[in-house]
Formats: sequence, C-alpha cells, structure tokens
Amino acid sequence: MAKKKVDDKNSQNDDSTKNEAGYSSNDEEPNFSDPEGFVDDISDEELLGDILKQKPKETDGFESIIIVDGVPQVGTNRLDKLKSVINKIFVKFGNIVNEYYPVTPDGTTKGYIFIEYSSPVHAAEAVRATNNFKLDKQHTFQVNLFTDFDKYEQIPEKWEPPEPQPYQGQSDLHYYLLDPDAYDQFAVVAAQGQFVQVWQNTQPDPTLVEARNAWTQTCIKWSPLGTFLATFHRLGIALWAGPSFSQYKRFAHANLQFIDFSSCEKYLVTYAPQGDPHNPDQKKIIIWDIRTGLEKRSFNPEGTCSWPIFRWSHDDKYFARIGSSNNNNDALQVYETPSFGLLDKKSIKIAGIRDFNWSPTDHVVAYWVAENKDVPASVTLLEIPNRNEIRKKNLFNVADCKIHWQKSGDYLCVKVDRYTKIRKEKNEVKYSGMYCNFEIFHMREKQIPVDSVECKEPIQAFAWEPVGSKFAMIHGESPNINVSFYEVRVGQAPILLKKLEKRACNHLFWSPGGRFIVLAGLGSNGGGSLEFVDAHDFLVMNATDHYQMSDVEWDPTGRYIITAVSFWKTKVDTGYWLWSFQGKILKRVNLEKFAQVLWRPRPPTLLSEEKQKEIKKNLKKYYPQFESKDRMRQSKASKELIEKRAALMEKFNQYREQRIKEWQENKSRRLALRNNVDTDELDADTENVEEEVVEFFIKEEQTVID
Amino acid sequence: MKPIMLQGHERAITQIKYNREGDLLFSSSKDNKPNVWYSLNGERLGSFNGHQGVVWCIDVDWTTTRFMSGAGDRTCRIWDCETGKEIGCITSASSVRTCMFSYSANMAVYTTDKAMKQDCEMFIIDTRVVDDSTGQQDPILRIPIKGSRVSSILWDLDDSIISGHENGEITQWDLKVKHLCFSYCGSKHYLPEENFFVNDMQWNKDGTMFITASKDHTAKLFDAKDLLLLKTYKTERPVNSASISPIMEHVVLGGGQEAMDVTTTSTRVGKFDSRFFHMVFEEEFGRVKGHFGPINSVAFHPDGKGYSSGGEDGYVRVHTFDSSYFEYNFDY
Repeated sequence: MAKKKVDDKNSQNDDSTKNEAGYSSNDEEPNFSDPEGFVDDISDEELLGDILKQKPKETDGFESIIIVDGVPQVGTNRLDKLKSVINKIFVKFGNIVNEYYPVTPDGTTKGYIFIEYSSPVHAAEAVRATNNFKLDKQHTFQVNLFTDFDKYEQIPEKWEPPEPQPYQGQSDLHYYLLDPDAYDQFAVVAAQGQFVQVWQNTQPDPTLVEARNAWTQTCIKWSPLGTFLATFHRLGIALWAGPSFSQYKRFAHANLQFIDFSSCEKYLVTYAPQGDPHNPDQKKIIIWDIRTGLEKRSFNPEGTCSWPIFRWSHDDKYFARIGSSNNNNDALQVYETPSFGLLDKKSIKIAGIRDFNWSPTDHVVAYWVAENKDVPASVTLLEIPNRNEIRKKNLFNVADCKIHWQKSGDYLCVKVDRYTKIRKEKNEVKYSGMYCNFEIFHMREKQIPVDSVECKEPIQAFAWEPVGSKFAMIHGESPNINVSFYEVRVGQAPILLKKLEKRACNHLFWSPGGRFIVLAGLGSNGGGSLEFVDAHDFLVMNATDHYQMSDVEWDPTGRYIITAVSFWKTKVDTGYWLWSFQGKILKRVNLEKFAQVLWRPRPPTLLSEEKQKEIKKNLKKYYPQFESKDRMRQSKASKELIEKRAALMEKFNQYREQRIKEWQENKSRRLALRNNVDTDELDADTENVEEEVVEFFIKEEQTVID
Repeated sequence: MKPIMLQGHERAITQIKYNREGDLLFSSSKDNKPNVWYSLNGERLGSFNGHQGVVWCIDVDWTTTRFMSGAGDRTCRIWDCETGKEIGCITSASSVRTCMFSYSANMAVYTTDKAMKQDCEMFIIDTRVVDDSTGQQDPILRIPIKGSRVSSILWDLDDSIISGHENGEITQWDLKVKHLCFSYCGSKHYLPEENFFVNDMQWNKDGTMFITASKDHTAKLFDAKDLLLLKTYKTERPVNSASISPIMEHVVLGGGQEAMDVTTTSTRVGKFDSRFFHMVFEEEFGRVKGHFGPINSVAFHPDGKGYSSGGEDGYVRVHTFDSSYFEYNFDY
C-alpha cells in the first residue's frame, strides 16, 4: 500500500514534468517505474501515520486480560466443574475469548487463572465487580488487570518528593467591605442566567461592577457573609470571589439543584435530589470544605426531603438533621465539625420529632414533638453537646408549630396552630375551629419563663424585629387584614403596641437594622401594595405599590430596599425598583426576562455594642459631613445631566437650523401648491379668515321674582 | 385638565385628525361612521354615513372642504365636509388601509391591503375635481408593493410619499413629472434591525421631520429628507400612535397592551396612558391616564394648547393643557 502511494506520487511528478514538456506524449501509457537512481526519501510515517497508529502491537489485548487469584486448586478430574463455575461468574461481564488455567506437572491447577475478554471495558468491569468476591469460606478472589502488574513493577525504588507547587496568593476576598462610602452591592440575573450583573449601589446612580454572559445556568446565591457568589451549572457549583470575581473553587456535583452554606461559610452542602443517571454512585448530598474544595462527607437520603435538610449552628461547630426510620421521624442527628461524625457517635432519640431550629447565638436547639395518643405535644430546648433539656413546655390540641428565633437569640417564639375539634377520616386528619397561640420563651431569664399570646384569627405572617424586641404579625381574613405589633419586655408578657387595620399585605419585611418595616402584598393576590412603616411611632411613611411584585429585598444595612417582578412569576413588566427606606422611589429598572436580584450580604459589624451606642448618640456630629457629601454628589450628577442635555440640544439645533433654512427657501413652492395662501402659521393667512362667534349653551337658570 | 369625552362611536377608534385650523376634530372607528366634532366643546357636528365596513383611515384637506376615508368595505370615499355628502367613491380590490391628501389637495394617495390574493398596492389619484366619475377614472399612478404591506403613509408636499410598512421598513417614493407622465423615480429606505409594525406616522409642524409609532414599544423621530433616525422614545408597550407638539419640543405617545391581550389583564398592566416625552432629550416627563383600552390614535391640536386621544374603548378624549404644562421647563 505504502509503496503504491509513492508510485502514484512519482507518476504524478512524471506527468507534471511531461506537461511542462508541452503535452507531447499525452496518449502514451504513463511510466510507473522508478527512474534510475531514485531514492525513496519519504518515510511511511509521513505518508500514512494515521493508519500506522492502528497497526496491531505485541502488547495489544493485554488490557483485556484479567488475572484471578484465590481460585480453588483442583485436580484434572474436577477441572471441568471448576471451569463451569468460573465461567458462570465471569461471563456476566462480557464475551470471554480466551481462558488459561496453569497446571502443575501432576495436573492440579495452580490456584490462579487468566481470562481474556473481547474488550478492555469488560475486563475493567470484571475487576471492579469481582475483586474480593467470596466464592466460598476458603476462597476469596483477588482480581487484577494484567497490565496492572506491569504498572506496579515499574515503580521506581527510590521515592522522589513531588515538586512543591508555587504559592498562589488569594486576592482580597473582602475588598468590597473597604469601600469608603460603604456602598452595597447587588447581583441581577436575567434571562435564565444568560447574563448576570453585579452592581454597586453608588449615589446617585448605581454603577456596574461586573457583567458576564452565561455566568450561571439557573440562578445565583450569595454566601451568608457575602464573600462568595455561587453560580449553578449542570455539573456543579462554582464560587466566585475577589475584586474581579475570579473563580475561587468549583464543586462537581452533577444535576445538583439546591445548595446551602454553613453559617460561617466554611462548608457548603449540595443536594442533587435526582442523582446523576451517568454516575449512579454519586451521592445525593455532599458536604464540602469551601477553603480546600474537598468533600467532607456525603449522604444518600431516601426519598425527597425538604431543603435545607441540615441546619447549622451559628458557629459552624455542629449541624443537625432529623433522622428517620420506617418513615417515622424518631431522632435528631447532630454532627460535629471538623470530624463530621455523629456527636458522641449516636443520635438523640426523640420519637415523633417534627421540626427543629438552632438558636442564632447559642448551642441550643429548639424542637417540637407532635401529639401521640396520651402524650401531649411539646416544645423542648436542648443544649448541645451535653444534651441537657433546659426547658420543656407541653402543649395541647396542636396541629402544627413554627419555630421562630429572634435574631439576637434573646427570645424564641413558637407559633402554635391549635384546634378545637379533630376528626379522622380515612387516614386523613381534619382540624376545625383553628386558632393560634404564640409561645414566647425569654431565653435570657432564669428558668426561661414562657408567655402566651392568643390570636383567634388566621395568621398570614410573623416576623421578629432583627434588632430589638418587637414582633409583627399579619392576621385576619381578606378584606379585614390587620397588622399587629407586640413588644416583649423582661419579666413581662408581650404588650400589643399597635394594630394597623385593613391593610392589603401578606408579607412582612423588617429592616436588617430594625425599627423600619415594609408591609408588602406579594404575588397575584397581593396586588403589589407597599407600605413603609416606622415601628418607632407606627407612622406610615409611604404607601405605594409595585404591581405584581414577587420579591422584596432589604440591603444589608437597611438603607435601601429593592422590589422586583421576576419572570419566574409573571411575564410582563419584569424588572426591579430601588427605594429608600422611607419609601421614596429612587430608580426603576425594567428588564426583559429579569429573574433575580440579590443584595450582597455583609458580615456582622466588628464594633462593640458600646461603640455602636456611642455612634448613635453622636449621630448629629456626623450628619453635616455626610449631608455635604451627598449634596456634592447630587449637584455633580445634575450638572452632568445638564451638560448632557445642553450638548444634545446644541446638536439638534444645528441640524434644525439647516432644515429650517431649506424650509424657508421652499416657501414659494408651498405657496404655489396652495393658491398663494400662506399656511405656514396658524394665523399667517389674514385675508381668508372669517371671525365667527360661537355661543354655547351652558346653563339654564330660573329665578322666581316676587 | 378634565378632558371632554366624545361619545359617539360604538366601537374602537381607529384614527383621529384635526383640520388645519384645529376647530374641528375628525374621528373614525370600527363602527363604519366617521364623525366630526367641534374641538372646543366636543359637540358633534355630524357623521359621514355610507361605509359598510371598518373605517381604517381618514384625512381632511387643508381647506377643510373635502374629507376622505378608507374602509374595510374595499372603498375609498371622498365627502363634502360641509354637507357630509359623499361626492366620490373608488372601489378597490381589498381593504383600504391608509389614505391622505397631498399638500395642495390636488392629489391623494391610498393603499390597499394584501388580502384575498391581492397584493398591497399604492394608488395616487387626481382629486382636483371629485364627482361621480372619480370612481371610474384611472389613477395617476399605481405602484404595486412587493414586500411588506403599507401600514401608514405621509405626503411630503406634492413631491414624494413616505410609507411605513408592516415589517418596520420606511420607504420614500420620489414622484416626478416626466414626459407629461407621472412616475416615481428613486426611493430611499430605512430598514430597522428587527421587524416591527409601523402603526402610525405624523409630521411635525413644518413637515421636515416625522414621528413613527411602532409595535416594538418605541416611537422614532426621523428626518424627512434623508430618512435619518434622529431620536427614539422607549416605552414598555406597543406604541400605536405618536404626535409632535407644534409649539413645544414635546411628543406624545399613545398605545398599550395589545387589544387581543387586554381581556386577560387589568388596566394597570395595560398601561393605557398617553405619555409625554421631551423631543430632544428623549426623557419622559408626564403621563395622562383615562382610557381603559389601548390608545389607537393621538393628535396635538394645531395650536399646541391641547391634544386628543382615541382608544380601543371607543372614546375620544379631548384634553386642554393646564397652565402648569407650559410652565414646566427642562433645565439645560
């Protein structure tokens, strides 16, 4: 083959030389033989390197051979039986083309055999599946690939330490906190992650920090302290950080749908509820160490579970989940970090546990247990790791409980849905005469006293003030929906401070700094109503709306608020609006296929409480400084705008001048077309005007004269 | 600014137009009967009875003696303004979608729909004398439109015609008298990046610029001579009509959610407001609410002291500006 090609080439060469000679001998048979003195200087590789690669090698097929150790040693009389047993085991993995049973001179087998498959894939599969296969009590197979022997023989005797990797300096992950004006950032996702923008909320107009196309495939998530931006991809999660949002780490977890950061963003939990069809071994839940990018532990829960499955303590020291067996929740499983083992190697047995939550400041878990026959429902506070029950409260006629910790851990509120009647219909439990109790636990007082607040109306929403001791709730049924504010004081039952009646809202959003609250009507029933309330004196600062809004987001400092209409919920007028905390509209951004907007969180302040109080006291001192700064920015912006407008106007006027000149030159043409009547101005034609007085009948009045 | 409501149409308004002086307001609707009103008080002066289909387009000549209308009954009719009598009727092969008198009103143009195996066509007719024979006369010029159909039209004096098309294209047709024969020579095009219906085109006062209203949620200001795009006014809804103020650097846009989607949404989503923009800065500075359906046609009063809008809801609203409108100034 190779030779012939060379010949072809030569003959072509011949042809071309002939052609040069002038087509004199076109009819003659071409001469295929090498000219005299010809040296074949083209190697085979050069000519058909691609085909040569496929040339069979001596070692070919070695990959398809496996060696099985630990096979029973039998004599010739039982060889056939052995062969049939072995065959049965190994034929499952592929077509066996060859097998070899080495024998001793007396005919007994040597205890190891060679099997050759038709393909290396089958061999690998056989090794994976049958290594350590127990044939019977005495015989366990040790299965290896034939090539592995070669590989391990070639390991050098002397160990050489690997080259140390050069140190890769990490860029400043907290640069955004050093902004002199403390501007916050927010991220915007539009059109299914086709594009993601990160904005800095500078005054008076936000500035774009970063914008990338196809940054994520579905949505994004900030880590709880704001250091990382997580983007979702089919194959896993990527974390971005630093001034230029460079990739920090990747976590490969195919088909994952949910993620959860631990409280101090040390660990990341990823969850792929459907698993990965291409890799059935992949675990559904994986916990990663964010800094190293290594997998710490994985779980494979049965069925689907509500997310987040794991709840983290405030300092990342513990995480817990509800353990279940036979579809009954019967334990609280608390794990420790960094060992990721069960605390004291056993879970806490709690029959009928329904829900739990960590205190935001202490190693305390609050959980509740449903009613069971004669045992009433109860809410229990449990100290970890010593498993002390520090408080337990029994409750009767309980349908459901919701556990709400106050952010500073001073109070715990358990919202208890209670019933007056219960009916059981075919496995279905129906409650009627529902009412609601709020059980307030005073965490910082001796023996943790509990107060109750009862509410006869259905509760739409409940929220603690993040700083301070107030809570707000929406209760009642449409159209009589009311918002009540309560305050909890040391040693006292909660006091009703204020009831705002007949409000159109279904969600509560406290400012992260406390005091201010936004009452919002989300979704299609809410109508998008917005009320900005100062909970200090319950003054409604502004009542307005953002029609069909689906999200409300406070910035981490409580200075601004964003309302958004996501195209996940509605198709028209998607976008986000930026407001001040007083409810003044600052910016409306309408964005087609807008999906998500998220403020970048901030870590808690490093200032001590005294320092914060001091600043609050001396606020007046700082006012003028910031006001003048704001004023300067404002005037600079308006100056820029005016300059821009002036430039536009000048350009436009220049263009118009030219056109008006042409228009005036055209006057004769216009007059000719309209019988010399000047119609350029409304009152230009004075000759043909007829004054007409029109009187309109306005009113008829009858006055009786005596 | 309490508007005068003109209630006389039974169906959606298709077009409204002031006469040159602005004392009369003409309106057409899908109910077959164009009306004329006193713009000062909203009193109805009369109707033009005769059409048997949706009246798509109307125009009135500069002397307010003749009124023209094109309709879905495949006729283009010319009427006497004073008596409301039909003086000429031209039957075409398909619906008449646009019509307009030339500057001198010696000619008129109308275009027909691409429908019933008929291509869209543009007809230029002689309107110096209009009588019973007008219907039989051959047009001066007949231009078959090969591509997208004409959806709005403007005369530039008597010299050229500008047509806006369904695909967003804008074409200028130069008309010249050659060998005693009327023909068009040369044309200029404006091709948009995306194909969106041009719903309406209107002149500025001196006829050197015009504004287009498009389904792509924008209105655009063009230079008439070079078809140069000067300004773009953006909204969130299809724009059905736009008009330029004769005295201020303002434009007004009317539109809203498309009529076919309206029943599924509330008025708040529809955004059926008239929206005022600064002509040069492209900044919105005011809105006028009122219609409960999309606005199909808007027009500034020729004196610039008011404007009118006609909507899918069948009402024409005649607004007179408050003094605050004239006091409001942009800083620059």
